[in-house]
Amino acid sequence: MKRIMIETEKCKGCKNCAIACMKAHMPDGVPFSLTDTRLEARNVILLDKDKQYRPLFCRHCDNPSCIKSCMSGAMTKDSATGHVYYDPKQCAGCFMCVMSCPFGVLKPDRATKTTVIKCDFCKDHGSEPSCVKQCINQAIHVEEV
Amino acid sequence: MKHVIIGAGAAGITAAKTIRERHINDEIVIISTDEAVYSRCMLHHYISGQRSLQALSFVTDDFFKDNNIKWLSNVTVAHIDTKGRQVVLECGGYESYDRLLIATGAQSAFPDIKGLSGTLGVFGLRDLPDARAIAEKAVKAEHVVILGAGLVGMDAAYGLLALGKKPVVVEMAKNILSVNLDSMAAAAYQEQFEQAGASFKLEAKICEVLSDARGAISSVELSDGEQLPCDLLIIATSIRPNVKWLESSGISLERGVVVDKYLTTSAEGVYAAGDVTGISGTWPDAMSQGETAAMNMCGCAVAYSDFIPPMKCTMSFFGIPTLSVGRFIASDGDEVTLRMSKDRYEKVVMRDDIPVGVILQGDISRSGYWQYLIKNQVSTAGIQKPIWKVSFADAYSIESNGEYKWVL
Ligand SMILES: Cc1cc2nc3c(=O)[nH]c(=O)nc-3n(C[C@H](O)[C@H](O)[C@H](O)COP(=O)(O)OP(=O)(O)OC[C@H]3O[C@@H](n4cnc5c(N)ncnc54)[C@H](O)[C@@H]3O)c2cc1C
Repeated sequence: MKRIMIETEKCKGCKNCAIACMKAHMPDGVPFSLTDTRLEARNVILLDKDKQYRPLFCRHCDNPSCIKSCMSGAMTKDSATGHVYYDPKQCAGCFMCVMSCPFGVLKPDRATKTTVIKCDFCKDHGSEPSCVKQCINQAIHVEEV
Repeated sequence: MKHVIIGAGAAGITAAKTIRERHINDEIVIISTDEAVYSRCMLHHYISGQRSLQALSFVTDDFFKDNNIKWLSNVTVAHIDTKGRQVVLECGGYESYDRLLIATGAQSAFPDIKGLSGTLGVFGLRDLPDARAIAEKAVKAEHVVILGAGLVGMDAAYGLLALGKKPVVVEMAKNILSVNLDSMAAAAYQEQFEQAGASFKLEAKICEVLSDARGAISSVELSDGEQLPCDLLIIATSIRPNVKWLESSGISLERGVVVDKYLTTSAEGVYAAGDVTGISGTWPDAMSQGETAAMNMCGCAVAYSDFIPPMKCTMSFFGIPTLSVGRFIASDGDEVTLRMSKDRYEKVVMRDDIPVGVILQGDISRSGYWQYLIKNQVSTAGIQKPIWKVSFADAYSIESNGEYKWVL
């Protein structure tokens, strides 16, 4: 499967990845804005205790805790791509996946608090992650693993 | 190899999937009283009419066909003949097995209340027939009472409020959701439930159920003597592992089916997973036990490690998400950190620099690491940060295949 590989030492915390992600996931009819709560990035860059940038991107884990806690069948691993996809229509908004991701990647959506914000590997953009394309420091790249 | 799985819930379905992933040619048979595959956690959405039976399913439409699994639905197992390695069906037939998984879940347990037994209009909420009966009865019911303000009771109340009912919830504890939340977090929900039309009788018990000449419930009497009119009573006080039917099998039982760390029972070739073991009562734990049992059924020894799981839950009534993990009531020597604002309430209980409990209400974004910290008793002593700022970033490591790993 393909995974977004992270080289943390190259990350300068510019957040181009976050903006690219927001742009790639704009709900129909919602124009781009940095303040509209309906636009959210699936990724985030955290700071560790030594002020190092620590990019947090969904790993589409080999053994995904989000799927192993999903009670509605909304989280599934695609057998062809290996990616973990999320179906907001099937989701019942219980947020057990948010609780179960040991890395704290997932979150409820800010605007309605009924669905989950989750990386889809830009499957609607040819499965070429927008964050990777916009990373000016090449801190992230896609690799077959 | 022939695998028979009793139960089509979280544990049974996960086990079947796991076996199929490992052994493409093994025979798999699932037997379930359930007529359909559905997520019990969504039954209140069925009561409210927000989801059809089909929308309660947590598997794809072609799950059984795609995975080459034989499913006997609407079929109940009456007995396990462990010597003859076969299960005897209530309808008369039998099914032989090489490996057997008991994944029969739990059932509602009714307290011993005068006048309760046999009275019409009284339901638990665990299975689809319960939800159907409640939905049907609710059409005309004017006085709904729910006994128990735990998660299932509050789910029932939520579903019924959506139908325009005004349920009265009777609860023994001082606050609602007392197993899952402290009084502060519970109060936020209680207020919302009250605004929506529910009312609460806290620190109260039902001591008698009264019925009319036809045997249908007419009122309930509380311990302080107050009588509440009632034509629909939902009992949501506790659950009991579904093991009564196993008493004739000779398999070791305590509260649930007794299992060792490989989730094997006392009978050869027989495993158990999910609520029926009594280890836990949550969906994720049932899935995880189903997976572990299946690995062992496939001959790959995998120990289950989560025998004393901390309390964990999320909920999201009225658009207020809450996460609660571990022990949220402090005892002597604990350190408690609180943070509050208009829409948020957060509490962490620490013991010797180890987080032992957390409640996050209002915003649970990217909070999954809390369960990891608490479950693994991770000491945060070396992290010079306020506890709110600690996260996976402080234990960040990446493996060669790109997966994350906790390193502290
Ligand atoms: C209203 C409600 C809300 C809930 N919400 C949550 C939540 O938000 N989060 C959470 O973690 N958990 C929740 N739970 C609990 C969760 O549903 C259970 O922990 C989970 O379903 C356990 O899975 P299981 O496979 O062990 O058993 P079950 O899902 O109960 O499945 C048992 C299966 O065994 C079958 N069966 C039983 N006896 C026999 C027999 N003799 N012969 C044949 N088949 C038999 C049944 O038909 C069924 O298919 C909720 C439960 C309810 C009722």
